[in-house]
Parts: sequence; structure tokens; C-alpha cells
Amino acid sequence: MKKSFRLIFVACIILVFMVSGCSSNSSTGAKNSGEGGKDKTTLVLAQSADITTLDPQNSLSTTGDRVFRNMFSRLFNRDDKMEIQPELVDSYKNTDDVTWKFKLKEGVKFHNDDPLTAEDVKYSLERVMKDQTLKEFPYFTQLSKINVVDDLNFEIITDGPMPTLLRLLAKSGADIMPKKYIDKVGMDEFLKKPVGSGPYKFVKWDRDDRVVLESFKDYFAGAPKWKEVIVRAIPESSTRVGELLTGGVDIATDIPPNEWDRVNGEKGVSLINGDTTRVMLLVVRTTKGFATSDPKVREAIDLAINEKAIVDSVLKGTGVPVRTRVPEGVVGSNPDLYNTYEYDLEKAKKLLAEAGYKDGLEITLTAPKGRYPLDGEVAQLVASMLGEAGIKVNLKLLESSAYLDEYNSNSNKELLMIGLADGLLDASYSLVHYTKDRAAGQTDYYNPEVEKLYHDAGRNLNEEERIKQYQKIQSIVAEERPHIFLFQQNANYGVSDRVAFNSRLDEVINFSDISLK
Amino acid sequence: MKKYLVKRLLQIIPVLFIITFVVFVLVYLAGDPVALMLPEDASEADREALRTALGLNEPFLYQYFHFIGDLFRGNFGTSFRYHQEALPLVLERLPATFELAVASMLIAIIIAIPMGIFSAKKRNSFVDLFITGGSVLGKAMPSFWLGIMLILMLAVNYQIFPVSGRGTWAHLILPAITLGTGVAAEMTRLVRSSMLDILNQDYIRTAKSKGVSDTLVVYKHAFRNSLIPVVTITSLQVTHLVSGALITETVFSWPGLGQLLVQAVNGRDMAVVQAAVFVIAILVILINLITDLIYRLLDPRINYS
Repeated sequence: MKKSFRLIFVACIILVFMVSGCSSNSSTGAKNSGEGGKDKTTLVLAQSADITTLDPQNSLSTTGDRVFRNMFSRLFNRDDKMEIQPELVDSYKNTDDVTWKFKLKEGVKFHNDDPLTAEDVKYSLERVMKDQTLKEFPYFTQLSKINVVDDLNFEIITDGPMPTLLRLLAKSGADIMPKKYIDKVGMDEFLKKPVGSGPYKFVKWDRDDRVVLESFKDYFAGAPKWKEVIVRAIPESSTRVGELLTGGVDIATDIPPNEWDRVNGEKGVSLINGDTTRVMLLVVRTTKGFATSDPKVREAIDLAINEKAIVDSVLKGTGVPVRTRVPEGVVGSNPDLYNTYEYDLEKAKKLLAEAGYKDGLEITLTAPKGRYPLDGEVAQLVASMLGEAGIKVNLKLLESSAYLDEYNSNSNKELLMIGLADGLLDASYSLVHYTKDRAAGQTDYYNPEVEKLYHDAGRNLNEEERIKQYQKIQSIVAEERPHIFLFQQNANYGVSDRVAFNSRLDEVINFSDISLK
Repeated sequence: MKKYLVKRLLQIIPVLFIITFVVFVLVYLAGDPVALMLPEDASEADREALRTALGLNEPFLYQYFHFIGDLFRGNFGTSFRYHQEALPLVLERLPATFELAVASMLIAIIIAIPMGIFSAKKRNSFVDLFITGGSVLGKAMPSFWLGIMLILMLAVNYQIFPVSGRGTWAHLILPAITLGTGVAAEMTRLVRSSMLDILNQDYIRTAKSKGVSDTLVVYKHAFRNSLIPVVTITSLQVTHLVSGALITETVFSWPGLGQLLVQAVNGRDMAVVQAAVFVIAILVILINLITDLIYRLLDPRINYS
């Protein structure tokens, strides 16, 4: 018996040595997790969530796009000011309403040395246009055909005039993948070890731990700065900040407000706030039978909420009060409705009285808790502001997935708080919510003028006119209030002082834009 | 003994069936996974298309029997989140969790056994009070709090250990202490009470009266006999370690089974939840079986036949 007991104990010790020994040998990036930030050729980024796939057309997440944007090239990209610039494309022209001709740059290579040709473009775009199971599929349905002319020339035929084509080609999901390589190894193998033509090559992905990339010396726009980039997944925010403070990572994304003082108070790191396309808003039921079907009630709710006070208090000044879902920097934004708000408590009370709710009104506000930074606190503040105007709010704070169930099943009552972003950086993406079909069951908003403006703009290749149409829609919506807008949300990054980093509106991080100071 | 083993192994089958059914129902009732996969502003048509593509529009029983059918072929289905087969995803996480669990258990044993014995020997003394109080504190501290505090003190302020991640020995220490503390506390209390029980037995008194030295009495006669409850609690704590790992792995970004399971549950990733629970269930059943066998090694009076 004595022997057996000893045996078990010794076996346990050997086991832990074996398992740990194996892992330290196999994990080449291990050294870097503690001190990667001190190495001049390695950049370490920490995100709050891991990527979920290596398929750039099946991801739809900001965390994924940050990796794919550096591994794959697209026909177009966006510069810092969100202007569309050619990336793989050398020249292009729009020959008629539905035909676009493109010529690729010469000498572009994939990471496996294969040249990038028009066949690769056709393969990649057709995949995302046709495969319904891909998460990016819904955004690419207006492309109808890709014709290859020769190795460098190809045409895109769209289903009707498509003013947003170039923006779509710069969006996530429009990544160009290597047809020849995928034909050879199969999609499953490709997704284990993807090959792109971007500045960084894939090295490995340890799920829920890290993605390791290395520089691609033959990158067509010149060899990238960083020899190695490690993108770590650290879901716990205090751990992420801990890594930043100890130099384990150079940039940590999604720093929650309760950690801001800690980051700002330390030497060697700083907090960088930047705009995003996400706007927090209240989805308002205009459906008959709800008190909010009365425009006066909707106006009263809007007037009773002091958006500036919310931004200044809860969000410590990071955020911009808005009266539209299309913030500055997105094509079609209406400057009159940006960085502004309406607050008039007395008028709100008067409007409620006029609407027949002199003795008060009771409504329900559904809001998420833990989905967006400080969402629960914002909802509570909104509820108490409405209370001052005589509107009793039943606040329904729900955990993220329960909240999404309520939102998706349209079972919410008068008000629902949500944050909506714009993946295309074009007003058409956001304003579709005010069309009859998309509003059905949600806000049930319908205005024939908005309907016509939206459909006309969607086929209008005259950019100036199209922008005016979108601005007009926003002015109407701001008055009719199927959505009551709160503020544009900020992105918060903790950044080591050794690197120079600028936040972008689309929240993309181009590793080559980050440099050592 | 052989008969007993075969019987025990056969019992695994219905248990696993019940577990898969319960998990399937729970995940099904939790709601629509598609809602979590698409952005907030996806249209109902987009959601419907994805639901159809993933086979989530089928009735509950159809989905269940389909799942069971696949299970017999060793296929747990494809993860919605990772778009890969679920079982390999779970299995590739096992070494990380295993490493953490074994290290935590070793820490717990190294702390608990001497503390427990010492505490029992010095019953009602200040040292006993200190150890008992310490073990209550150890049990009471939530592991996420302890983890964050250890990171703050030993990784951020003093920078002795890395903050997070997996790789070297240094990476293992803080998560193992976090996970092992609760187990150590529980075990210390148990070793103490078990030892006290044994020390009051007649044969100990006889040994002492024969003039056998105190150390020999405690370590040879008493300790070995106090081991049975300790083994029981150790095996129970192994299951506790798996659930504790859910939190500890998230705090330390430890890429183990716990983190995978938490994310799978949050994302209603049915296939991964099923595969993970299945694997954990098999582990727990096997550990219980091994525990029963160890009993026999420790105490030959226990006879399963």
C-alpha cells in the first residue's frame, strides 16, 4: 500500500513535468507573452476577444478584421481619413451604370510566391457572393458577375447601379484569396494555414491565446516594419491592462472606463480615445397601440434626455452627442445633426400633457448590461431623466444574449437601447432601418418620402446628389424619431509610450501604421 | 474485481446519454445562436438564411436524433463559432487544462497535508487557530478575485511572474495558486479532522503507550489511515478544479477547456458545449472509478467483489 501511494504521487509529479515541459517547447511565442513589448522588432497587441476563424469572409468581427486586414489584400482600402484608395487595383473605370473595369497592379505575390491574378479576384468575390453560409454574404448580394479579361484585367457587373461598390471592395469580406493554392490543398487545409498577399504572413493560431504573424518581405508595397506581430486574446480587462502596464503588450484594445484612471496614472502608457461608427440610440415603437406611436410623446422623450450630461458624466466626456445614426466621417453624414442634442424639460412636460399624459406615462425601456461600455449606467440615467419629465420607466436590464433574443424577436416594448455600427462607412448601411421592410416589427416606421429618397439614393451614381438625399432622410428621421439618438461611442486603447498609434474611425489597426517612437 | 470494473464501465453509457440529453435541452432552451453570430443590424432575412444553412430550423426532436446519430459516428457536429469539428477543438484544449489542474492539485496537496497534520497535532493551539482560520479564508475567497489580486501584486507591482498566457513554468504558477487555494483550504480542514479522529483511536494510544515515537505514530500509523477521506475529497476536488478552471482560465487568458466552454455557452455553440461536457463527464466518471480503486489499495478491508 505504501508503495502504491508513493507511485501515485510520483506519477502526478512526472505528469505535470511532462505536460508543462511539452507546452513550453511547443509554444514558441511563450517568451514574448511576458516581455514581447521590449523587443524592437515585435509588436504585441491584446484584444478583448480572440478571432473565431481564419476565414476572412466568415468572421464579421472587429477583432478578426484587425488580423485579416494585415494578412490579406483587398482591391481597395481606406486611408486614415477614411478615403477610399486603390490597394491591389492599378486603375479602374465605370463604363456604364452596371459595369466596372479594373486593372490589377503588376507583380503582386501571395505569401506562397504565386502571383495574384484576376482569377483570384473572381474566385474570392464569387465565393462571398454565392455562399449563403458565409457571414459576409448578405453584404455582397448586389454583385452579379465577375468577368476575367486576362491575368490583370477584370470586370465587375452589378445588379443595377451601385454607388457603394468601391466601399464594398474595401470592406471586410472583400479579401482576395489564392485560388490556385486553395484548389490544390482544399478549403479546410487553407483555413488551417491561410495564405494571403498582405504585409504579414500567418505563422500560427493558438486558439484563445494568440495569433502570430511575421513580415512578408516580398509585400508589393514594400517590406513591413515589424518582423513579428503577436495578437493576443485577453478577455479579462484588468489582465489586459496588467499586461500593458508591465510591458507585455504594446497596445490593448477595449479599455473599460473603470480602468482609465489606472492607465492614465501610470508612466510609460497612455489612454487613446477615438471615434467609432457606433451610435447608441433608443429604438422607438411607432406601432399603433403603444404610447410612443404619438409623435408628441417621442419628441417629449427626446427632449427629456440630456445627451450631453450623459456623455460628460457617465462617459467622462468620451463620446459625442448626436441626432443621427450617421456620424461624421461616414459618407452621407449630416453635419447639422452631429455634435448636437435637444434638451428642454419644460417643453417635454408640455408635450406630454398635450398628448394626454398630464398625469404621467408608464413605458418600458429594454437595455443590455455588459454588451457596450457602461450600457447599464447609461440606461439608468436615461430612465431617471425620463422620470423627471413624468414618464415612469420600467427598466429591463438584460444580459447580452437574453437582450439579443428580445431584440431579434421584436418582443420589446416602447423603447430599446442599442449601439449600431456601420461596417461600410456609407449612410446607405445605416439608413436602411427607416425603410418600410426593415422597420417592420421593429419601429414600424414608414414615411413614403424617406422610402423614395432611400431607394433613389441607392441607385444614384451622382455622389453629391446621393449625399444630399441621405442628409434629407436624416433630417426627417431626426424630427419623426423612430430612433432617438444618444451619442457616438468612443473606442479606448491603452498604448505603450514606445509606439506611435492613432485610432481610426473604422477601428481597423494596420500594423505598418504603428511605429516605434 | 473484474466483474465490478465491467459493471462500472457499462454504467457509463446511460449516464452519458442522460447528460447529452440534458445539455441538449438546456442549450436549445437558451435560445437562438444565430442572434449572437450576426451583427445587431442584420435583417430577419439574413438571420433566417443562416438558420436554414445551419439546420437550426428543424424541430427539436429531429435536431436531437440527428445529433445522437452523428454521435454514434463519433461526430459531435461543427462548431458555429469556429466552423470546425467540435471534438478536436475540445481535445486540443485538454493538455492546458490538465497541466493547470495537476499543478493546482499538487500545490493543494503540498500545502494541505502538512498543514492539516500540524493543525491536528497542535489542536486548539494558536497555530491550529491560525491554520483553521486561514483555510476558512482560502475557501471564502472567490477565485476571480484572488486571481486579479495575485496579478496586481506579483505580476504588475513586483513583476515576479508573467501577467497572463501559457508557455513557461512561470506562467503556470499564479493560475495554479489561484485554483489550488480553494482546494487546499478544503483539504486542510479534512486532513485535520480525519487526523483528529484517528489520533483518538485505541490503537494509537496503544502505540504511544508502547513507547513508539510521536513522529512515527503520526506519520506511520495515523496518517495512512486518515487518507481515505482525503482521497475522496481529492477526487471530488478534481471535478471542482474543472469548474474553477472556467473562471481562472478566463482571468489568466489560459487557453484551456474552461475558457472554451465559457465562450461556447455564451455563444450557444451547441456542438462545442456538448463535446466539452461529454469529455468532462467521462473524465469525472473515470476519476471516480480510479478513486474507488485507490480505496482498495489504501484499505484492503474494502472489497468490491
